[in-house]
Amino acid sequence: MSTQAIESLSEDTVRRIADERDEPEWLLETRLNALSALETAELPDVIQTPGRRWTDLEALDFESLVDPLNQSDATERTVGDDEVVVLPFTEAFDEYGDVIEANFGSVLDPEHNYLTALSVALFTTGTFVYVPEGVDVEDVTVRAEMNSRSLFSQTLVVAEESSSVTILESIESGDSEAAASEGVDGDRYFSNLVEIAAGENANVQFGSLQNLDDDSYTYSLKRGVTDTYATLDWIESNFGSKLTRSDVETELNGDGSESQIVGTFFGTEDQHFDINARVWHQAEHTTADLVTRGVLDDVARSVYEGVQDVGNDAWNTSSYQRENTLMLSDDAEADASPKLIIHNHDTEASHSATVGQVDAEDLFYLESRSIDSHTARNMLVEGFFVPVLEEIAVDEFRDDVEELVFERLQ
Amino acid sequence: MATLEINDLHARVAEEDGERILRGVDLTVESGDIHALMGPNGSGKSTLAKVIAGHPAYEVTGGEVLLHLDEEDVADIDAELDDEDYHWELLELEPNERAALGIFLGFQYPAEIEGVTMTNFLRQALNAKADEREELFEDEDEESAEADDDEGYETSPMEGPADDGEIGVAEFQEILSEKMELLDMDEKFMQRYLNAGFSGGEKKQNEVLQAAMLEPAVAVLDEIDSGLDIDRLQDVSKGINALRDEQGTGVLQITHYQRILDYVEPDHVHVMLDGEVVKSGGAELAEKLEDKGYDWVREDAFETA
Repeated sequence: MSTQAIESLSEDTVRRIADERDEPEWLLETRLNALSALETAELPDVIQTPGRRWTDLEALDFESLVDPLNQSDATERTVGDDEVVVLPFTEAFDEYGDVIEANFGSVLDPEHNYLTALSVALFTTGTFVYVPEGVDVEDVTVRAEMNSRSLFSQTLVVAEESSSVTILESIESGDSEAAASEGVDGDRYFSNLVEIAAGENANVQFGSLQNLDDDSYTYSLKRGVTDTYATLDWIESNFGSKLTRSDVETELNGDGSESQIVGTFFGTEDQHFDINARVWHQAEHTTADLVTRGVLDDVARSVYEGVQDVGNDAWNTSSYQRENTLMLSDDAEADASPKLIIHNHDTEASHSATVGQVDAEDLFYLESRSIDSHTARNMLVEGFFVPVLEEIAVDEFRDDVEELVFERLQ
Repeated sequence: MATLEINDLHARVAEEDGERILRGVDLTVESGDIHALMGPNGSGKSTLAKVIAGHPAYEVTGGEVLLHLDEEDVADIDAELDDEDYHWELLELEPNERAALGIFLGFQYPAEIEGVTMTNFLRQALNAKADEREELFEDEDEESAEADDDEGYETSPMEGPADDGEIGVAEFQEILSEKMELLDMDEKFMQRYLNAGFSGGEKKQNEVLQAAMLEPAVAVLDEIDSGLDIDRLQDVSKGINALRDEQGTGVLQITHYQRILDYVEPDHVHVMLDGEVVKSGGAELAEKLEDKGYDWVREDAFETA
């Protein structure tokens, strides 16, 4: 399959983006390579069931969605501690050029697929986070607002030996009037690539909260690798957008390393979520825990794929996966596909997925205690999210998720 | 003094060709009285309990379920009341409205609800009851004006209801501690999720606790004594007696066993067979059933029929 060529894309476009940002030569080359990879790169695989391709990425009209030279965002980065570096790439090249060059693209191959290549060729925003050896910081926040028709974001996190960091990012649509005055209306596209290198014994938590307006299509691939004894925990929350394709992946490359991927989503109206969580056990004594819960109302749809891949050398692996989707409407649709691939028998593993409706007996129980049916249903939905919220160690993030769940239940 | 009056109640399972289960039940329960409803499996006891509470799995095909209230049952209501406010046809009301009027169903198998703490649930229920009562009894011309802001709730139940003066935190805690002590329940219960992972006995204690908190006019307790060890049976019995003695609740207790009746002495005993109440009597009737089973009741019923 070849994806349509985008006319506004040319070597010239990419050079202009790199020039404006005063980027080093190696990055320009990386971008140009990504650009030429577009000719052969494929769109990400999507789940197919008989007679149905759940997420039709091919239907995305990139020609009208992608406007590379007019990207605009307002991004606020806060850091609790000045031992950690949190900068836009443009401000980081001078001092940290070597670290960036050594790590950029090492975790997430820019040419992984069509959408990653497009994103690397065109990104104009994003964040470089560098946590030097032994540094421990809790509150790094990155709050981004998208103000253009398309926006490509690239984030690189390098956590050195025995460092510890919690990073919370959020993405929302900017003021719609401001966008309209810039001539932005109709469908929009947000692309978000995140790569994380968790060094030996490092501890990284990365939470992402997507709440874009319902005219937005979004693609997000977040990928991390763990060195020996490293821990990498992800929280991936999707509430907004018309269509979201989200992939969160960890390669457990170091002995004794661990990863948890916690996901939440809540779809209303005709929202579509394609949620993916994957982990590769490639060393001994590694542990993975994939927990996702989502709610669908109206005619919203979700498709979930979870993969636990236990490699030949992954002795003494522990790997758990569970996904639950709660349907609030007869017209909502969900498909779930938890996959467990085991190449090493020394593994303790479980995987499960359920799709169900609000339990009628639970509802009646609450109603029989004077609680009206609407409130009772909402209590059950909020209760449904609690087991995943309990996995979220960051209070601030948990509060934000609760708030968004609450908003959607009104 | 409230009265629950059931007249010629017929109900069937709410599906195509659903089984007819209740075939003309007549039963009256007055507040302050304890009634035991006994009968063999499949006679319709649990169905009766659920139909009174408004369970959607059953369709009522005939009869009425009336709740009559008097002044003391509406002492909390400020609005001006007319005769209609004292007499309700429960079959026309939603389950939560029936509950707000003072009907409590103690479940044989209480639902386990993950993610909703006991504290949160009980406060939500108490406030919902107060709100719902206000709505049920308010003057009709006020009703339409308030209909708009009827949707949803103002705060997340995760955070607990807003402290809008209905039931203050301190008052709530005080009442709760007192009731829990009576039932010999540990305060740690309140931080647990509603019935989730509770033992059979803990669930039944919790049903009685909820009845104590909600202060119903009539509590229908469906096999509240099943699966209890003797200590817990005594705790639960103490709780049921307190409902009657302290709150004047009328109790309709569905049971298979004489055992609980040693601790909760019934004023009236009824026997249900094939979807009807076929015999009523005093406490001695339960003892006779314990000794002789139900066959003689069936024979009696046949003879008179």
